[in-house]
Amino acid sequence: MTYAYAEAVLAGALAGLIGVQVVLRRLSYFTMALTHATFPGVVAAAILGVSITLGGALAGVLVACGVAALTRRRGQDAAAATGVIVAAGFAIGVGLVALQDGFSRELSSFLVGSIVTTGRQDVVTTAIVLILVAGVLAFFGRGLLFTGFDAAAARSAGYRPGLYDLLLLVTIELVIVTIVPAVGTILALALIVAPAAAARLWSTRLPVVTGLAVTLGMLSGLLGLPLSGLLDIAAGAAITLVAAAFLIASLAARRTS
Amino acid sequence: MLEAPFMLRALAELTLLALICGPVSVFVFARRLSFVADALTHTVFPGVVAGFLVSGADGVFGGALVAGLVTAVVLTLLTRGGLLSDDAATAVVLTALFSVGVALVSRRSSYTSDLTAFLFGRLLTVTPGQLVETAVLAVLTLTLVAIGARAWVFRAFDVGGAAAAGYRIARLDLALNLVVALVVVAAVRAVGTILVVALLIVPAAAARMLTDRLIAMAAAGTVLTLLCGYAGLWLSWTASVDHGVRLTSATAVVLALVLAYVLLLPVGLLRRRRPA
Amino acid sequence: MAEPPPPGPVPAQRHASQPTALRIEAAGFGYRGTTVLWDVELTVGEGRTLALVGPNGAGKSTLIKSVTGLADLVTGSVTVLGRALPKARGLAAYVPQAETLDPDFPVSAADVVLMGRYRRIGWWRPTGRADRDAALAALDRVGLADRASTRFGLLSGGQRQRVLVARAIAAEARLLLLDEPLNGVDATSQERILTALGELTATGTAVVISTHDLAVAARIADQVCVLNGRQWAAGTPGEVLTPEVLREAYGNHAVDLPDGRTMLVET
Repeated sequence: MTYAYAEAVLAGALAGLIGVQVVLRRLSYFTMALTHATFPGVVAAAILGVSITLGGALAGVLVACGVAALTRRRGQDAAAATGVIVAAGFAIGVGLVALQDGFSRELSSFLVGSIVTTGRQDVVTTAIVLILVAGVLAFFGRGLLFTGFDAAAARSAGYRPGLYDLLLLVTIELVIVTIVPAVGTILALALIVAPAAAARLWSTRLPVVTGLAVTLGMLSGLLGLPLSGLLDIAAGAAITLVAAAFLIASLAARRTS
Repeated sequence: MLEAPFMLRALAELTLLALICGPVSVFVFARRLSFVADALTHTVFPGVVAGFLVSGADGVFGGALVAGLVTAVVLTLLTRGGLLSDDAATAVVLTALFSVGVALVSRRSSYTSDLTAFLFGRLLTVTPGQLVETAVLAVLTLTLVAIGARAWVFRAFDVGGAAAAGYRIARLDLALNLVVALVVVAAVRAVGTILVVALLIVPAAAARMLTDRLIAMAAAGTVLTLLCGYAGLWLSWTASVDHGVRLTSATAVVLALVLAYVLLLPVGLLRRRRPA
Repeated sequence: MAEPPPPGPVPAQRHASQPTALRIEAAGFGYRGTTVLWDVELTVGEGRTLALVGPNGAGKSTLIKSVTGLADLVTGSVTVLGRALPKARGLAAYVPQAETLDPDFPVSAADVVLMGRYRRIGWWRPTGRADRDAALAALDRVGLADRASTRFGLLSGGQRQRVLVARAIAAEARLLLLDEPLNGVDATSQERILTALGELTATGTAVVISTHDLAVAARIADQVCVLNGRQWAAGTPGEVLTPEVLREAYGNHAVDLPDGRTMLVET
C-alpha cells in the first residue's frame, strides 16, 4: 500500500508537469488519442512476451509520429483524424485482446488502472521518468514555449518547430506509457489535464502554473487513494474526481473574484 | 449468417444507425466536434449505471437520456465561458463523469462485465423493442437535422456571418450537441461506446476523401456505414464460429470502418493534390 | 427623436434628410465586459458609406462585430434601421475577411452565397428556385457566375472575398458591414468589390467598411471615422484625412496619405 501511495503521488507530479504543456497547447484530445493508441502496443507487447513498458513506449512513439503526420494539417481533417485514432486504437487493442483469454479483466484495468497492485519496480520507473521529463522540460522549456506560442517567429529565430513538436509528443507519450498501467487511460487524461487547467486559472506565469499543477497533481493522488478506500470505489475514479474537484473549486473561486 | 434472426436484428439496428450517423457525422466533422462526441459517449455511462441501480434494466434508457442531455448543456456552457479552453473543459467533463460511472459500478460485484457491456454493447441481443426505440429516435434526429442543417452549416462555416444574419449561436450549438447526445443515447446500449464514437466520426471523415459536397458526404457516409456494418458482422461471425476468436461484433464493425478510412486516405490526398 | 450633436465637424446638414441606417450613441464596445473601444458617436444615413480607419487593434473589428452581435456593446446604444441592439440582430449583412474562413470547408461558391438567403428561407421551407436564382445573380454581380460550383477554398483570396460580398448582396440587407474586405485582395477583385458597393449604395443600402487603405477610404466614403481605442475624429474624408488628425490618432505609425504617398508620422 505504501507503494500505491508513492506511485499515486509520483504519477500526479509527472502528469501535472507535462499537463501544463498539454493545456497551453490545447493538446487534450490529442493526448486522449495517444492514450488510446498506446493500448494496442501494450497488448501486443504482452502477447509477444516483451517488456510492457518497452513495448508500449516503442509502439507509442511510432503512434505519436503517425498521429503527428495525420493531424499535421489543422482544421476539420485533423479533428476527425484524431477521433478516428481514438476509435481505431481502442478497437485494435480490443481485437488483440480477443485473441487471448482474460479479456474483460485486462480491459478494465486498462481503463481504470490497478494502482493497488503497484510494486517497487513501478515506483522506481515512475521516479526515473519524472526526473527525465523534468530535465527535458527544464532544458528545452524555452524552445518549447517559443515554438508553441509562435512557430513562424521561432523558425525565423533559428528554432526548428517540427523537432520541438516531436520532442513534446514523445515526452507526452513517455508519461502516458509510465502512468497508464497504474492509473488507467481515463485517469491518465484527467490527471494530465485537470491540475494544469486548474493551475492555469490562478496564474499566467509559467513557473507558477507548473509548480501549482505539480502540487495539485500530487494532492489528487494523495487524497484520492484514501477516498477510494473510504467510499469503496475504484482508485482511479477517486483520484480523477479529486482532480476534477480541484478544477471546479478553482473555477468557482476565480469566477467570483 | 443472416438466417439467424439475431443477426438480422443486429443488421437492422446498424442500418437505422447508418441512416442517422451519415448526416449527423457530417456536422460533427464540420464543427470539429469529435472530442465532444467522444465526451458524450463517455458521460452517458454514469447515467446508464445510475438508471440501472435505480430501476433495473428499464431505467437504463432514461438514465442515459438524462446524462446525455445534461452533458450537452454543460459542455455548451463551459466552452462558451472562455475561462477554460474548449478542449481542456471537454477533457475534464469526460473524465470526471466517466469516473462517476466507474465509481458507481465499481461498488458492484459484476464490475468488469458491466463495464465491458457498456463498452461493447450487446449488438447480438438487440430486441425488437430496442429496434423500435432506435427507429423513433432516428425519425426524431433526422427531423431535427432537416430543420437545423442550413443554420448549422452556416454557423460552422462562418460564425460572424451567422450571428449577423440573426442566428443565436449559443442555441444552434446547444441544439447540435443535443442531437449528438440523442444519437449516443439511441445507439449506446445496442452497440456500445466505442462503436458510437466511430459511427459519429468515421463516416463523414472517410466520405470527405471522396467528395467536396456536404450532401454527398452524408449519403456516402451512410452507404459506407452500411457496408462496414455488414462486413463487421460477417467478420465477427466468421471469427467466432469458424476460428473461435471472440471478436465482439461492435469491435469488428469499428475495425471495418477504420479500415475503410485508411483505404480512402490516399484517395483524399490524391484528390487534394490535383484539384478538379 | 432628437438628433444627438455629432462629434467633430460632421456634415450634419447633408445627412439630416436621409433616414438612418445605423446610429451609434455614446457607445463603448468590447468583449466580456472589457471595453476596448470608447466614445463612439456615429450616424450613417441610407445609401451612405462610412469608412472606419485606424491602426491594427484600434477597435474597427470590435465595432463591426458588436453590431452583428459577436462582440458586446458595453455602454451606450446602437440602432440599426430604427431598431436597437440586441433586437436589431439579423438586419445587417456581414462580410468577414475571407482569410479567416477555413479553406478546407466543403462548400461551393454558390453554397456560400446561398447562405445569404437562409434567413429569408426560414427554418421550414426548402431552398427554392427563386433563392438559387438570387444567389447566382449576386455571384454575377461580382463577376464570378462561372465559378458557382467551384469549392470556396479553391478560389483565390480576392475571389473568395468577392463571393462573400455576393453573399451580402443576396441577403438584400439595408446595411452592409465589411471587415477589412480589401486586405491582400488583388486589384481586379478590389475594383469589382468597390463597384458592387457603389451599386448597392445607389439603391439605398448603407455600407460600413473598415480598411487600412486611406486612399480607398477617401475615394468611396461619404464619412470617415478614425479609431484608435476611442473615436478620434469623424467627418468627410477631406476634413478627417489630414496629417494633423492622423498623426494624433496613429502615433508614430506609417500612414498612407489619400494621394497615394506614404508618410511616416513621428510622435
